[in-house]
Amino acid sequence: MEEKKVVLKLDGVSKSFAKVENDEVTHALSAVSATMESGEFISLVGPSGCGKSTILRLVAGLIQPTTGAVTVDGKEIKGPSPERGMVFQKPTLFPWLTVEKNIAFSLKMQDKLKGNEERVEEMIRVIGLEKFRDDYPGQLSGGMAQRVALVRSLINEPDILLLDEPLGALDAFTRMNMQDEILKIWRKRKQLAIMVTHDVDEAIYMGTRVLVMDANPGRIVADIKIEEPFPRDRSSASFVAYRNDILNKLHFGGAKAE
Amino acid sequence: MSKQVETNMEGMTRQQLKELETKEMTPFQRFLEVIIVILPFVCGILAIQEYRLVPNNSTNRNPNTYLVFLILLVAAYVIYGLVAAIKRVRGDKGVYEKLRFKAPLFSALFLLLAGYDYLTLKTGILTQPFVPCLNFVLNAAWNDREMLIECTIHTLWLLFLGYTSGVVLGLITGITCGYSKRCRYWVDPIIKFLGPIPTSTWIPIMMVVAKSLFGGAVFIIALGSWFAVTVASMNGIANVDKDYFEAARTLGATERQLVFRVAIPHAMPSILSGCTQAMSSSCVAIMIAEMLGVKSGLGWYMNWAKSWASYDKMFAALFVICIIFTVVTKSLDAVKRHVLRWQNGAEK
Ligand SMILES: Nc1ncnc2c1ncn2[C@@H]1O[C@H](COP(=O)(O)OP(=O)(O)O)[C@@H](O)[C@H]1O
Ligand SMILES: [Mg+2]
Repeated sequence: MEEKKVVLKLDGVSKSFAKVENDEVTHALSAVSATMESGEFISLVGPSGCGKSTILRLVAGLIQPTTGAVTVDGKEIKGPSPERGMVFQKPTLFPWLTVEKNIAFSLKMQDKLKGNEERVEEMIRVIGLEKFRDDYPGQLSGGMAQRVALVRSLINEPDILLLDEPLGALDAFTRMNMQDEILKIWRKRKQLAIMVTHDVDEAIYMGTRVLVMDANPGRIVADIKIEEPFPRDRSSASFVAYRNDILNKLHFGGAKAE
Repeated sequence: MSKQVETNMEGMTRQQLKELETKEMTPFQRFLEVIIVILPFVCGILAIQEYRLVPNNSTNRNPNTYLVFLILLVAAYVIYGLVAAIKRVRGDKGVYEKLRFKAPLFSALFLLLAGYDYLTLKTGILTQPFVPCLNFVLNAAWNDREMLIECTIHTLWLLFLGYTSGVVLGLITGITCGYSKRCRYWVDPIIKFLGPIPTSTWIPIMMVVAKSLFGGAVFIIALGSWFAVTVASMNGIANVDKDYFEAARTLGATERQLVFRVAIPHAMPSILSGCTQAMSSSCVAIMIAEMLGVKSGLGWYMNWAKSWASYDKMFAALFVICIIFTVVTKSLDAVKRHVLRWQNGAEK
């Protein structure tokens, strides 16, 4: 099946929030421009508060830009849509629904569940949780819950997959396993994936492109293509070179810092 | 330890896991178990013999009613025990464990019955007929059964009307207010103003204002329920984690679905605890209404029996009240447990 190609454009996007405590305004994003397209795996790294989540929420359609435009294939994003799936740091599984029903939630909301039950089955199989299908999320481990959250949005076969620190709360082993699982899923359909992470190694290991951001005001300071074939070797010389380069851009490079 | 682990760990049930993890009992512990399970039966026989053999202090008409009652209780326990034993032999230990857990309470119940009978009928330490012995009460209940049944139905009907209308209206206002700030703006002052007033305060006013006392009582019970459910569901809905809404929206949920598929299920624990609270406030309100104004129902019956100095009837009504409120509360609990089964942590 030929996959649908999409182009996502951020065109001079600014987003400001009114602060709660005083009359000031936070400039979460200031004149951010970028173009991304299907087949890319974009890693977003940067200090906390630099607007990484804000970018994802804009693309998801959960918030609207203050100025500028976010477009998919030239069409402005008006609101959330299952075509742009999002996974949050907290799994946000609905605790009153079983694993199976959580995964089927999206189809049910769109009245598409009838006739598509095998898609739910497939998703359960993808994450290997057949035995837990009738369990409630409260009984799952963090890794399992995040897997369910992942396939819950993948069931719509989204053109754009937004991942907001999806592995941030997991232990190191689960984390490395899930990095590979996510890559496997992504390489099957090659949709556009944008993942926020605070782990530079993870960003390089998974991304085809790493966008480095900085705060006050939030902006993109570097756009680095990772020209390495998958699977990547975390200790190879080029990997280390990428890491040093990015750490430099994040001002952790010691003497070489600008 | 001589436990074989031949059950494959894969398809293990909870029961098997529990068995595997509990230590084997010593012979003494086993002996103790048997004693504990048999003790209620022994205490039951004791209560029967106490009633039959100890001489009475006051005249006791129709003495067999209480005797039949006791025998039925003991028989019920024996049947329960037999069922548990058979199930246990067949491999289902659940019923037996429940029985074993409750057995000490059953023993205490029989001892209590024997003690009460001794204090009332046998010695008169608790003066007859003000604190009537159970045989009097049972006889009174049986002889006046038609009236009692009529009153019970009346009370249940009143409770049903008031409670359900209050809960339904409370759900509507609570959910709308939880969701819409504008609605909350108007309803909040009403709740703040009316909230601290106990429902029973309205009863004298109702007796003056209402055209029918029954309608007035329904209104008061509904008012109390409405209040409890409104506050609980409003808070429940207003406290739904924003993340759930965002997740649901990216999954394609419409505004309407956000209310019915996310907000309400999420607020369910709070809503149901509001319903439980509403039930207890309804039970209080209904008794006060019936004792003060309404001309039927169990509350009225108690008052009426007291004014005729028929204390046995009064106690009979008290028992019926006890039973129906217990049944109502238990059923509500069962509903709650079923709806909130997802909350049961690691156990299914
Ligand atoms: N809904 C909001 N209201 C007010 N301020 C916000 C809101 N969302 C984000 N911000 C602010 O915008 C800035 C960027 O936030 P965010 O995108 O979440 O950062 P990051 O994900 O990179 O840590 C932060 O200073 C944050 O306080
Ligand atoms: Mg963030």
